[in-house]
Amino acid sequence: MAPGIDPIEFELFKNALFSIADEMALTVHRTTYSAVLKDNMDYSTAFCDAEGRLVAQGLTLPSHLGSIPEALAAVMRRYGDSMAEGDVFVLNDPFEGGMHLPDIFLFQPIYVEGERVAIAATICHHTDVGGRVPGSNASDSTEIYQEGLRIPPLRLYERGRPNETLHALIERNVRVPVKVFGDLRAQLAACTIAERAFRELVARTGVETTRFYMNELLDYAEALTRAALRALPDGEWRFEDHIDDDGVEVGRPIPLKVRVEKRGDRMVVDWTGSSPQVKGAINNTFSYTRSAAYCGVKSILPPNIPNNEGYFRAIEVIAPPGTIANALPPAACAARGLTGFRMVDCLFGALAMMLPDRVGAAGDGGNIGVSIGGWTRERQPFIYVDFTCSAWGGRPFADGCDGNSHMFANMASPSIEVTEAEQPIQITRYEFLPDTMGPGQYRGGAPFCREYRFLEEEGVLQVRSDRRAFLPFGLQGGGAGAPSMNWLVREGRAEPLPSKFCITLRHGDVFRLEVPGGGGWGDPLARDPALVLRDARNGLVSLDAARRDHGVVITPGWTLDAAATGALRAERLAARGPLPSISRERAA
Amino acid sequence: MTWRVSADIGGTFTDLVAIGPGGALRTRKVSSSVGDYGRAIVEGLGELFAECGIAPAEVEEVLHATTVASNAILEHKGARTGLITTAGFRDVLEIRTLRMPRLYDLRWEKPAPLVPRHLRLGVTERVNHRGEVETPLDEAEAAAAVEALLAEGVEAIAVCLLHSYANPAHERRIGEIIAARAPGLPVSLSVDVLPEMKEYERSSTTVINSYIGPVLGRYLTALSRDLQGAGLQAPLLLMQSSGGLMPAEEAARLPVHVVESGPAAGVIGVQMLARRIGLANAISFDMGGTTAKAGVIENGTVTRAGEYSVGGGIMVGSRLLSGAGYQLKVPAIDLAEVGAGGGSLIWLDAAGAPQVGPESAGAWPGPVCYGKGNAQPTVTDANVTLGYLNPVALVGGALPIDAAASRAAITEKVAAPLGLSPEEAAHGAHLIAASNMIRAIKAVSSERGRDPRAFALVAFGGNGPLFAAGMARALGMTRVVVPPSAGVFSAVGLLASDVEVHLSRSWRRLARGLDPAALEGAAAALEAEARTRLTAQGFPPGRIAIRRAATLRYQGQSFELQVGFAAGEGPALVEERFGAEHERTYGHRAGAEEPVEFVTLQVVGTGLPERPRMPDRLSPHAVTPAVPARPAYFGKALGWLETAVLPRDALARPVQGPAIIEEYDCTCLVPPGATASLDHFGNIIIDLQGEPSA
Repeated sequence: MAPGIDPIEFELFKNALFSIADEMALTVHRTTYSAVLKDNMDYSTAFCDAEGRLVAQGLTLPSHLGSIPEALAAVMRRYGDSMAEGDVFVLNDPFEGGMHLPDIFLFQPIYVEGERVAIAATICHHTDVGGRVPGSNASDSTEIYQEGLRIPPLRLYERGRPNETLHALIERNVRVPVKVFGDLRAQLAACTIAERAFRELVARTGVETTRFYMNELLDYAEALTRAALRALPDGEWRFEDHIDDDGVEVGRPIPLKVRVEKRGDRMVVDWTGSSPQVKGAINNTFSYTRSAAYCGVKSILPPNIPNNEGYFRAIEVIAPPGTIANALPPAACAARGLTGFRMVDCLFGALAMMLPDRVGAAGDGGNIGVSIGGWTRERQPFIYVDFTCSAWGGRPFADGCDGNSHMFANMASPSIEVTEAEQPIQITRYEFLPDTMGPGQYRGGAPFCREYRFLEEEGVLQVRSDRRAFLPFGLQGGGAGAPSMNWLVREGRAEPLPSKFCITLRHGDVFRLEVPGGGGWGDPLARDPALVLRDARNGLVSLDAARRDHGVVITPGWTLDAAATGALRAERLAARGPLPSISRERAA
Repeated sequence: MTWRVSADIGGTFTDLVAIGPGGALRTRKVSSSVGDYGRAIVEGLGELFAECGIAPAEVEEVLHATTVASNAILEHKGARTGLITTAGFRDVLEIRTLRMPRLYDLRWEKPAPLVPRHLRLGVTERVNHRGEVETPLDEAEAAAAVEALLAEGVEAIAVCLLHSYANPAHERRIGEIIAARAPGLPVSLSVDVLPEMKEYERSSTTVINSYIGPVLGRYLTALSRDLQGAGLQAPLLLMQSSGGLMPAEEAARLPVHVVESGPAAGVIGVQMLARRIGLANAISFDMGGTTAKAGVIENGTVTRAGEYSVGGGIMVGSRLLSGAGYQLKVPAIDLAEVGAGGGSLIWLDAAGAPQVGPESAGAWPGPVCYGKGNAQPTVTDANVTLGYLNPVALVGGALPIDAAASRAAITEKVAAPLGLSPEEAAHGAHLIAASNMIRAIKAVSSERGRDPRAFALVAFGGNGPLFAAGMARALGMTRVVVPPSAGVFSAVGLLASDVEVHLSRSWRRLARGLDPAALEGAAAALEAEARTRLTAQGFPPGRIAIRRAATLRYQGQSFELQVGFAAGEGPALVEERFGAEHERTYGHRAGAEEPVEFVTLQVVGTGLPERPRMPDRLSPHAVTPAVPARPAYFGKALGWLETAVLPRDALARPVQGPAIIEEYDCTCLVPPGATASLDHFGNIIIDLQGEPSA
């Protein structure tokens, strides 16, 4: 606490401000039109001070953590001097404050007695912003010009009056204007709620004290972060992983390299050495790379640190321009989610070396994007967007979670019955895949398979998956998880599909998605045989795999054969060499 | 001479209340008998009856709120249950929605499924969302699945097939197959439990119904037997999570409705009070030892949520993060809960900022002043240090306390590190606890577009009346109501409840161009079912009231709003009402051309009593020894003020704050600048319109 601060009043102020940011998030949640926002919670809300510094971010999407400062800075550069009450600013251009085109940012300055005191911010992933593929998130675009409508920082409202030109342009350039404008209204509603609640707060606290405490909130988060960092070991750790390819230059691996340096109360997350930017649409903005670093580091810090720029101050993120971690125009970046998820996993690889008893093996690599779109027989547009994932990596203290979203994006899966009622799609299977988890003392999480049967005459299927060539890694002797797979079943025949593709679907086609399995942690022969039996009983591990991977012998009556298990394990232990600390391959 | 009796089981205490002629109110708090909850009820009632001279034959109803069902879920002590699903979908129950309730938590564990995977079996069949059979049920496979589950020794079977709400034929057929092979085995078909779209929520709800059914059934059978053994022949009714009563036999069949019964009862009590004293809008505030809960009465009616989760943990400021606990899609009184109670710990974070909760010292070891070994100060210790709580003993003298220990702990752990006096630190902790609880009140008011200033705050629970006036003032609310027997008010609320049947079904139609006869027909069918059930419970047609409602949304939205409508009111009117509600809740409505969609139809049938359930005035049996005035601390500006300590009766003439009302089961604080009085029902009314004198 800085001198001169009333610690009680400060705590009360902090509670009030974060409750506004959460109330904004709730407003978007309840009024949105898109499943991407409601089910996937692919949006964020925040509160900034008058200068544009992030003071409080709502509890929504971790992958938006680092995005607001850059976006608002872009607005301030253009409009810092001319901003007025009643203005609302919009942008989505990744090369001027945005992240990828579907993420539309809205900023509304809040005035009290004619003076700007704060800025309310919302980001929403919109269902479609035009471009060559429905859903606007194809991974095989090669220039931003293919990806949709690009909005530089502009006024959506000027002194309360709508910018008709911009509204008309948006309306003509997106496939589902009703949804897009419905969601823009949700963003505006959140800003209205913020303005109302903030003015009430200022009425109680006073303008000067409000400014003072907003500034103090940044110092407070910084102090908490630095105190937590000081308690961690000093040193330098490196980790490397690969994305299979960018979907354009198929089969060409893309290296991700991270160096984590922790000295005293500061941390560096350095991506130097990672791939140059790529042709496919998986390039990150620097802000997205920052989000990945902030998310990974936050997971090893105590839970009470506020989400704001004070937290960011103690963490330096380095990513040379022109790389996949900090792309330059006209790089395509719609599907950059893949790179972000994998950067978090890569960073966890380094943090697992720093804190081997807290951080585990790789999960499935984050969301796989599935978009199915087109026109119905009645010439009505339809777009189905599903971001899904399932498996966590095994941890130093527990198995990886089965059927759980990735740390970087806490998303929900859409209801099958709702999907079938609203889309020309039937889901024909959604269940766990046996024998796909990386074995270990603590096994990787279970992935699932999901089958989509297409019911319209024609449509476009676009998929972004990965982890087929480079598997979810195991740690400390744990094995890697199974690869992802995509299949097209047409007229009864199943054909494999690449990991990233865009194809035309016909009536009756079935797309089958297999999510990769989580990597295992620790020696598989040290796994509690009772857990192996449980998994076998539940059909997640076959009897063969129980013997092969874990040295556990199970009788036909579902009991453990303790003697045979002991003998088999002893035989295995005698025969094998030292275990690798990192496993990137499946055992034969 | 007739009495009505209620029993509300909590984790630590079982509260018993009897209401008799002329509004005589008799209460008793007894320790809950864990493992055999019924015993505490029967023994406690015996003592209460003996003390008050009540003959068991004079009791006409026994009303009950119990944690038996929720404990079975939380402790995984339900029946061994099997689940039959559509082939390819047996993991829907376990995959859930993928979402987790906490961000950045590497230690997160998903709750284990109530039915393990090897007891979840798929059968070949498929119905689409229009109810058309695409793949006929493979009966041989279904029979084999049933045999396999029976061979595993399941005690109950749940069946949840895709789109069964649209066509239940396959579920019903599987039900017959089970009945033929295992007559008497409890079976829950999802169409009977929850005929609504969304397979995960329906599966989870149906499985919970199967899982807790045998446990609750055994409990109710034993309790009924024991009550009868004690001479109580009166019917036993259970509180539903929705706030209506349900006969014990019905509860055994649809146990999923009685999972969260205790918290609901308090809000129903507030609804009754609000109607009695002419309050259209009230916020209920129930604060005990570990949590605080807020609910809303609007236009004299409780608000209900369509779903909730058991063991979902505590809502900390935001309800955005779902995924914890076990999902139940049944109507429930809408409550927002925060981890703040008398036992909440006060501590300093790494940056030196004072924090309150969510960790709690619980009932054991409890606050520092209990002298049971806890050294970290709690909210109760702050209230003792401030002079708000009796410095000698609580619970009418039954619980002696060490006020000096409270003050020393506050000094050492909070005040000294912050450079504050002990009373400043304690006052700060009191305010921070209040600000945490204010988030619960906002969650049920301003976050729904309701201005809390238009509501009165009705406070109960052991600690609610201590904080209510300060919180109300911070929110700009001007009136606080503290009901009689506030410390056992949930049990009082049970006595104010009516028998209710809640029915709902998926009904997706565009409002525009909808045939009014189609709406009327569908609503009338639900209504007829509600009437049938209430008639079977002994209510003649003249004593059945029906309310209809629908949930709607703009087509494409994923969240619905509920609006009521009456028989004969058509789709156009309902659509207009939806638009108005959307505007009120979210501050905007879409243009007239925007299509509006019906999502579910709902009917609530109420069995009306022959005469009013509550008397005009409650007369608690209060014996309160005189307590001397003492200094209490009200912040830097006002400092320590000599504060009168009064019994409730003393407010027959209005009293200016500061004042403290001490009662057996709770303490009420009237801050400076406020005026407290008694209304004709026996409520303490705190008027905050006067400005605080600082």
